[in-house]
Amino acid sequence: AGVLAAHKITASSPDTDLPTVSGLRKIGVNFTVSNKDTVKNSDVLFLAVKPPIIPFILEEVGPDIEPRHIVVSCAAGVTINSIEKKLSTFCPTPKVIRCMTNTPVIVREGATVYATGTHADVEDGKLLEQLMASVGFCTEVEEDLIDAVTGLSGSGPAYAFTALDALADGGVKMGLPRRLAVRLGAQALLGAAKMLLESEQHPGQLKDNVCSPGGATIHALHFLESGGFRSLLINAVEASCIRTRELQYLADQEKISPAAIKKTLLDKVKLESPSLSLASASKVSLFTNKSHSSKKN
Amino acid sequence: RGRGGGVARKGACGSGGMEAAELRVGFVGAGRMASGLARGLLRAGKVPASSILASAPSDKNLDTWRESGCRTTHCNLEVLQESTLVFLATKPHVLPGVLQEIRPAVGPHHIVVSLAAGVTLQTLQRLLPAGTKVLRLMPNLPCVVQAGAMVFARGSGAGDGEATLLKNLLSSCGLCEEVPESYINIHTGLSGSGVAYVYLFAEALAEGAVKMGMPGGLASRIAAQTLLGAAKMMLETGEHPAKLRGDVCTPGGTTIHALHQLEKGALRATVMNAVEAATNRACDVAED
Repeated sequence: AGVLAAHKITASSPDTDLPTVSGLRKIGVNFTVSNKDTVKNSDVLFLAVKPPIIPFILEEVGPDIEPRHIVVSCAAGVTINSIEKKLSTFCPTPKVIRCMTNTPVIVREGATVYATGTHADVEDGKLLEQLMASVGFCTEVEEDLIDAVTGLSGSGPAYAFTALDALADGGVKMGLPRRLAVRLGAQALLGAAKMLLESEQHPGQLKDNVCSPGGATIHALHFLESGGFRSLLINAVEASCIRTRELQYLADQEKISPAAIKKTLLDKVKLESPSLSLASASKVSLFTNKSHSSKKN
Repeated sequence: RGRGGGVARKGACGSGGMEAAELRVGFVGAGRMASGLARGLLRAGKVPASSILASAPSDKNLDTWRESGCRTTHCNLEVLQESTLVFLATKPHVLPGVLQEIRPAVGPHHIVVSLAAGVTLQTLQRLLPAGTKVLRLMPNLPCVVQAGAMVFARGSGAGDGEATLLKNLLSSCGLCEEVPESYINIHTGLSGSGVAYVYLFAEALAEGAVKMGMPGGLASRIAAQTLLGAAKMMLETGEHPAKLRGDVCTPGGTTIHALHQLEKGALRATVMNAVEAATNRACDVAED
């Protein structure tokens, strides 16, 4: 999106064999195996590890967190409170922001929400928003909504991929070559989403606009309704949200099963420092004048 | 403008000149649908009771008509002789016979409106004198309380004047729209029978409330009022029902939880099935 020069980004991981590592290197991101280096070279720190690893990471990098740092956790189900608690042993007023994004950030059509922690200023939130808005939609929410967002737009792309796979199957069944079927299905969903985002109209109305009386579409929709299409989607969002909460609960208990952490990783990690290290981090140059006068809206 | 005090004008070309108040309205057949329409017209004050004449083979149905002040007879021909606007409201299988019977008395001044389900304009026109102004009407029961939904289609002999007259008259009983004949069976599935679907839904709503501890009578009245209110909002705001539904759903609230249950039960598909089944049945019956 051009908001950040690659050399201003630092990423770290103990496992250098990951395909993502070479990908990051190729685009010019600074890569290191030391999480401490990442923290030292950053102002905005994205914690992009799996949720069970977060407590270990915080233990490791805690001592290096300074007042300037904005710690952004993308870990599903990990509360701001749990991060602040862990960091407060090292730093009295850690700035924490919790965010939930989704994979289409890759194509700059992400859906991101964030909630600011106790010590994060309005400007800190706005900075994150500016960054994430460059890769899609981004808005601030109350933290208690983030699980629902996970269920909807976090997992959402998976629902869409499933739907697209099936739509393509339908096309193939009726005689289309697979590649064309996939292409057309994806374009249909893209176009529909775009229409909805650009329209004032309710999706129900947009649906009606496509259904000529007695025509093909309404016949098809009847099948969808008969199959409980809508309720399946509601169920899916609900299930994802509930599972996120379960994981959060488990994490809060700090009952992290070592099985949740790949064995090789655990060993490698134990070799380094007292606590585990697996933080990917980014450094952001503050391209806005970050004044500390708070503007109360 | 024909102010002949209700005297039938021969060769009236139906410019809508006849006022409803002078109209003499006849009903051949005096069953539930006919009396529903008549009651609607009376309640709306569109037609005085004395201008309404109904015929039926027995007195069984005619008592209530007389109580309202309408005139009654056992002679179908008399209805034709006395009335300009004639509603044919017999049971469908009886109608062909009745048409044979009244045919001699049907003239160019008559406006014949058939309520018989499944009897096409083509059939009606075949059994009546050529050029007769024939229309086909599909009402529904709430015409009785002036909240009906009616559609009508015109035959080849009926012009704009007849359509306008009928629409103006029947608007007093509810919604009345002209449609192509092919929509009539769909209207049956949607609204003719549809009224029954609503009663079923209302009953179920009330039953749910009873299960949760509310007395049945109260639950029933509230259920009915809920349906009435929701329908009124739809009609008055003109907003899409999906939007109105969304307006009621607070995030994480009671409504969305309940709606999820309805979706799980595939209510939408079931309702679509019902409309389809009734419409198909109407088509089947028509072909017999």
